[in-house]
Amino acid sequence: MAALLVRRAGGLTSAARDRDRTELPPGFPAERVALVDLLDRVLAEGVVVTGEITLSIADVDLVTVSLRALLASVGTLNRQEGR
Amino acid sequence: MTHPIRRRLDAGDDPQAAERGLASLVLTVVELLRELMERQALRRVEEGTVTDEQAERLGYTLMRLDERMNELVEAFGLEREDLNLDLGPLGTLLPKE
Repeated sequence: MAALLVRRAGGLTSAARDRDRTELPPGFPAERVALVDLLDRVLAEGVVVTGEITLSIADVDLVTVSLRALLASVGTLNRQEGR
Repeated sequence: MTHPIRRRLDAGDDPQAAERGLASLVLTVVELLRELMERQALRRVEEGTVTDEQAERLGYTLMRLDERMNELVEAFGLEREDLNLDLGPLGTLLPKE
C-alpha cells in the first residue's frame, strides 16, 4: 500500500517537473497541468458554483433551474467545520 | 501519446471500432474519477486524517482498481494512453507517463 502511494507522490512531482515543451499561444501560463491535477487542487480548496437558467419559448418562461452547489473534498469540509 | 477528442467519436463502419470507441469514452471517465480519488486519498493520508487501517484499505483498493483497469483496457483492445485526452490549450486530461 505504502509503495503505491509513495510511487504516486513521486509521479506527481516528476510530472510537474517535465513540463510540456509545446508552444502555447500568448496569454496561457507556461505551466501545463493535467486536468485531473487541476480538479484535485480545486476540490482541496472547495468551490461554490451558482447559476440561474430559464428556458422559455416565445417569451413564455417554461422551466427554471436555480443552482447553488458546493463542491469540495470531504477532508476540506471537515476542516472548515472544525474551525 | 494522446489523441484529439474527435478521433474517439469517429467509429466508422466497423462495429468493432464502434465498440472500442464507446469503451474508451466510458473508461476515460472512469479513469478520470479513479485518478482523482487516488489524489484525494493521498491528500488524506498525508494529512493523517485517516487511520492506518483505512489507509491500508484505500491503497489496496486503488491498486486493485488500477489492475482492473489494465484488464478492461486490454479486453477492449485499447492502450492505457488511449484514455488520455488531448484538451488542446487546456493540456491533457491525465498526466503523461
